[in-house]
Amino acid sequence: MAVAMESILDLDFSGCSTTTTTEDDGAQAWNDWAPVIDWDAFTGDNDDFRGLIESMMMVDSEPMSEDTVSYQAPQTNNTMIIGDEETNGDDCKGLRLVHLLMAAAEALTGTNKSRDLARVILVRLKELVSPTDGSNMDRLAAYFTDALLGLLEGAGVHSKHHHISVLNSAIDAHQTDVLAAFQLLQDMSPYVKFGHFTANQAILEAVAHDRRVHIVDYDIMEGIQWASLIQALASRKDGPSAAHLRITAITRGGNLRKSIGTIQETGRRLVAFAATVGQPFSFHQCRLDSDETFRPSVIKLVRGEALVVNCMLHFPHSYYRSPDSVVSFLRGTKTLNPRLVTLVEEEVGPIGEGGFVGRFMDSLHHYSAVYDSLEAGFPLQNRARALVEKVFLGPRIAGSVARIYRARGEEEDGFSCWRELMGRVGFSPVGISFFNHCQAKLLLGLFNDGYRVEELSKNRLVLGWKARHLLSASLWASTTSSDLIN
Amino acid sequence: MFHSKKPTTMNSSHVDNRPMCLQGDSALVLTTDPKPRLRWTVELHERFVDAVAQLGGPDKATPKTIMRVMGVKGLTLYHLKSHLQKFRLGKQPHKDFNNDPSFKDASALDLQRNGSSSSGMIRSMNEDVVCGFFSRSGHVSEALRMQMEVQRHLQVRIEAQGKYMQTILEKACQKLSTENNHGIVDMSTISPVNFPSFQDLHIYGGEQIDMQQHIDTSTSLDGFNGEFSLGKKRPNPYCGTSNKNPLSWTDDIRLQDELDIDSGDVYESKQIMSADSFGERGFGGTSKTERPSPRNGVLALNPMLKGGALPQGRNSPYGCLHLLPD
Repeated sequence: MAVAMESILDLDFSGCSTTTTTEDDGAQAWNDWAPVIDWDAFTGDNDDFRGLIESMMMVDSEPMSEDTVSYQAPQTNNTMIIGDEETNGDDCKGLRLVHLLMAAAEALTGTNKSRDLARVILVRLKELVSPTDGSNMDRLAAYFTDALLGLLEGAGVHSKHHHISVLNSAIDAHQTDVLAAFQLLQDMSPYVKFGHFTANQAILEAVAHDRRVHIVDYDIMEGIQWASLIQALASRKDGPSAAHLRITAITRGGNLRKSIGTIQETGRRLVAFAATVGQPFSFHQCRLDSDETFRPSVIKLVRGEALVVNCMLHFPHSYYRSPDSVVSFLRGTKTLNPRLVTLVEEEVGPIGEGGFVGRFMDSLHHYSAVYDSLEAGFPLQNRARALVEKVFLGPRIAGSVARIYRARGEEEDGFSCWRELMGRVGFSPVGISFFNHCQAKLLLGLFNDGYRVEELSKNRLVLGWKARHLLSASLWASTTSSDLIN
Repeated sequence: MFHSKKPTTMNSSHVDNRPMCLQGDSALVLTTDPKPRLRWTVELHERFVDAVAQLGGPDKATPKTIMRVMGVKGLTLYHLKSHLQKFRLGKQPHKDFNNDPSFKDASALDLQRNGSSSSGMIRSMNEDVVCGFFSRSGHVSEALRMQMEVQRHLQVRIEAQGKYMQTILEKACQKLSTENNHGIVDMSTISPVNFPSFQDLHIYGGEQIDMQQHIDTSTSLDGFNGEFSLGKKRPNPYCGTSNKNPLSWTDDIRLQDELDIDSGDVYESKQIMSADSFGERGFGGTSKTERPSPRNGVLALNPMLKGGALPQGRNSPYGCLHLLPD
């Protein structure tokens, strides 16, 4: 314990900064700053952070646990008083939580690593927040706390598999909850539809004159994306009528029988749906290898079929897939020479800024935007939101934190987003059509005003909540001489 | 909570932004934003119009003279200048105002406020896509036709997805009823019935009070299910039976007209939109701009807004899950 105590004093909070620089004017600065958390401030250069943390650790009058008391003693005189707890308590608390999380992340990975300190901070955080209660920030902080605790406890050799299994078992647990949450997510936000519709429209345009269409889907889930595509293909007026659609779903490797069963059910459901609208349709599945890597040879190609690869990655509701698996899939599909690749991924901040802490803060920012957008969709439905958070966002947060934790040190060679990989693998961008952009705009019009869609590059549409980019849909082709460009 | 308009504090900012009467007697209403804007209430606008008429019409009246005639304390030349400018534009729809900076202000304001109305979808199209498209195609009518086309497709796609989702949920229901469920959420807590009433929903922008009153009068539950199923928070004027919403959806109607008469000059059409939104914003509930108002026409040509939400809403999954034993 004494060691840990020392480390508080010596901590070098690199990658952090704050507008509060001295203890004297601290209270004032808090008040000025509190209403809006300035995210940029967290990525700048470091500052002396000590007083802040001490004050955060001690600000509530409730008795500390035995562990923390020992830290308290030497620093009492430095403690900053946070004023106006009543009036902007929420903001203050939110900011405090952010700082605590940051401190914990720093303690876990920084130059002066101290797992004990991290544990103390996280235990304290656990006391302060609950995933089902309180403000957005409280609930969000609860999931991030759990994610960090998970790293702390499972940071051994098996962490990777540990996390995957934890995530998926959480999702597998209550299928009904998942469905209800999925439906709610669709109703509350445009995330799901934005990705699906943007990809589908691009597919429809790419195969407008083909008689046979083959889509390889990396993560089909319930297959909901394809309902609208099937409908659109069945009712298309220009182009050959009754084009045949074939979908090959990639199933996970290993012995996850359950997921195979789920996909079979998806297949039956899609076949039935296609029949109701009169669309010629067939469904196949093929498995990833046991280590989740993709072998292009498992895909059966038929001459004359327009091949499309669909890759919906990291939706709030999707299963966690390991980065290696995604890499192998994207690389592998290049050899199949697809007409079009549709890629939907989470927007994350640039890699290599601020190391783990920087990316952790970026992730926190990202999910806070997601939480806010959901709250704006259904401001009073705490329970509905809590369900969506529990079923989808909590596991995603854990996965995301675990991923950036493991990615430490690999940053020189890494890439922050999959579309970077697409360029490296040799895919070339395919322009987003005006129709597609239009459709996204119209779609967002059905939801809250905070959502925005931007065409950040000619092959990429980005869905954002206020100032934050959340999801991006990009289009790619494997041939450089594609006539699809422009 | 990290954004300036953060939902966590929306509840309080909701109250904070409520317009505040500065003086008990006058009609002057300012928002309490960091940058207070004057709200042109109906009353205030009427006084304005009276003053303008008294001074011999919008072209003869000047901000200074109007200020003198109106004699409202706190009203500044700045306020009057911009209001008069818009008023003139509204009165003279054939004046080219494209280079007029106040138009830009107005449209920015519109965007901010109108986003929360149920025709936000159309509006966002007007403001961004259509104008963007215009620069490419040269004909706004073409853009509008395209918009209708996209809208129609989107409608079909949303319905298809809803229908498909329905089959998933039905299956889940069957499974549950045979398995005697465990681990199921208490669906009654998230059934549409408990979703927020419109009064509680946050309306962005400065028109909160007006919008709320407007919503109060036009809220009808038959529109609500549909709203819910699209994840939309606003009353749908085309679903409800009430046509009294004074803020009305003039843009849609105008767009419609524009499409009908097919005189595709963008300046003209933009102008009309702006004039409309001006009327809508500034004149509050008693818009004096005449509207051709063929609501039926809109209904017929606006499948997205008219019926889009309903099929899904009727088939709301909660209906089915709701019936399950707890």
